Parts: sequence; C-alpha cells; structure tokens
Amino acid sequence: MVATAFSSLVPMETEESQIAHGLRRRDPDLLDALIEQYQHRLLRYLLHLAGNRAVAEDLFQETWLRVLEKGHQYDGRNRFVTWLMSIGHNVAIDYLRKKNPRSLDELADPEDGAPFEPPATGPSPFDLALAQQQHEMFDAALGQVPAIFREVLVLRFQEQMKLEEIAQLIHIPLATVKTRIYRGVMALRPALKGAAQ
Amino acid sequence: MTNHEHEHAIELITCRGVEDIAAPDTAWLDLHLATCTECSDYAALTDSTGRLLRSVAITASPALVMMTQARLRARSLEMRERESRMFLIGVSFCLGVLSSTASAWLWWKFGSWVAQMLGLPESIVGPGVLLFWLLPAIAIAMLLMFVPQTVFNHPLMLALAREREGEIR
Repeated sequence: MVATAFSSLVPMETEESQIAHGLRRRDPDLLDALIEQYQHRLLRYLLHLAGNRAVAEDLFQETWLRVLEKGHQYDGRNRFVTWLMSIGHNVAIDYLRKKNPRSLDELADPEDGAPFEPPATGPSPFDLALAQQQHEMFDAALGQVPAIFREVLVLRFQEQMKLEEIAQLIHIPLATVKTRIYRGVMALRPALKGAAQ
Repeated sequence: MTNHEHEHAIELITCRGVEDIAAPDTAWLDLHLATCTECSDYAALTDSTGRLLRSVAITASPALVMMTQARLRARSLEMRERESRMFLIGVSFCLGVLSSTASAWLWWKFGSWVAQMLGLPESIVGPGVLLFWLLPAIAIAMLLMFVPQTVFNHPLMLALAREREGEIR
C-alpha cells in the first residue's frame, strides 16, 4: 500500500534516481513516504543487530536523521534499501561501540525488551502454540549467535539480499559474507534441529 | 567427492532463492544433494533458517513512524534555516571583502593625488595609506597605554562595566 503510494510520487524516472534527487532537495514528502515504505525492514534489521527493541527504535530514528543529513551522498546507482541498511549498520555499530567497545553481543539481553512478536494470524491454538515455541527456541538460539553472523543471516534470509549487496552494505569481502552465513547457519543448527522435532 | 565440490555446493545453496543460478549448476546441485548427506543437511538448515526468519513478524509502531517523521521535518527545517544563515554570512563576507578592496583602491588613489599635489615622492603613498588605515587602532592603543589605571577603577567606569556585564548575561 505504502509502496503504491510512493510509486505515485515517482512516475517517470527510475525509483532510485528519483529518491536521490529528492534526498538532495531534502523533500519532506519523499522522506515521509520512504519512512513508511522501509519502516518494518529497517526496524527488523536494527532489532536483530541491537537485540533490544528500545535501542532499535532509537537507532531507527537516528538512521533516518542520518539519511536526511547525508542524503546528498546517495547517487541512485545502487538500490536505496542497500544504502539505507548501510546507514543503519553504521549507526548501530557507532552506538554499540560507544555502549560497549569490547563486544557487540553483550547488549543482546533476551530478557530486555520484546524482540520478536508472534504472527498476527494463526490457524489454531495448537499450531499457534507450536509455532510460538519454535519461534522462542529460534529466537533464543539467534540471540546466542554472534552479531556479525546474525547480521548476515538476517540480511540474506529475511531481507533476501544478494551476497554482493550484503558485502557492499557491511563493507566486507564477498568471501567473508559466505563464510559468515555458513558459520551462522551452523551455529543455529542445534536450535533448528530442535525446532524440526 | 572433493572439498571443492562441497564448497561449490554450499555456495550454490547460499545463493539459491535470491540470486540467479544457471540451469546446469542447479542440475549439478540437485545431483550432489542427492548423494551428499552433509550438503543436503546444510541445505535443509538454510531452508529452515529462512523460513523461521521470514515468519517472524516485527513491525514498527505507528507512533514510532510519526515521531520519526516529525523529527525529520523539524531537523530539515533547522538545516534549512542554518543554511540560509550561512548563505547570508557568506554574502556579507563577500560584500565586506569587495568594499574593503574598493575603498583601499580609492584611498590609494587619493594618497597618490595628495602626494602629487604636495610634491612628495610616490614611494610615500604606500606607507602613508597604511598608516592612515591603522591610525584609529594606533590612536586607541596609545590612549589605553597612557590613560592612568585609576580612570578604569573610577566608580562610574565600574558601574558601566557591571551594567554591560548584566546585558551580556
């Protein structure tokens, strides 16, 4: 729905070049539309990175403020979502470094905040309970996975990003992305086996 | 099977679903997965990871979105105001430089004319204009040096200083 609303703003040029043009002008209507279009994806990514909803919401706002300030740097050659996530990544890293320079993972407290919400619809109470249990197990397991692996897993499997985009976003070599995905999946193995049973 | 084959299979498993994989590669992967337990296990794990991650519903609250939009609009306004202030400062600076240059040129011409009228050598114009320009500052400096300190400690001066300090605060 929001994507449709945004599309009505960009009838002629490609979406990316229109966004780049609008960001250079700091067009408030465009920014409103972008926030609405990418709200869930950005928050989801930041939440997985920070492991805490309140922190993720702060980072969400900070990311958009940085988009406003650095909007002129976006040239429209890459997908906007990759650039946006890259800004989000930098904001999160800055925050986490300031908060705890030793480890980015120590912030991820499973008791703090509510990182995951159950799906809004469910076929039956039993299925819902089972799904909930699986999610809890998976959530707990994901929380144990180091942030550097968790981040690539989210970008690859949840955001469906290409490996090259992930490499570009996190500023790491392509081979490192592949290794991190492999190691992340293997780290989740016990929980995934448990969820399958 | 070689390590290279396993690595290739893992790479294809990681890419599939999002990136384009050539038909021969897909066929090779299917064949490999049918015979390699380790790689088929990894394929199942990636499928489960993707399924579970995608089934998680995380949504931003409308309040968060509205607050972010409001903050962005306020910040945007602030940035525009700052930019227009900087623009005005820039224009003022440029005008100041232009007027200083023009007045210096005029004073130089005037100095030359005075020197010519009085029959003085041309070399005196430069130092003369410079001295004339610096004269007010030199006069104030001399005044401050020679005025006795007691003048500054006069109750009237102290009252003026206090009043000025209060204005600044």
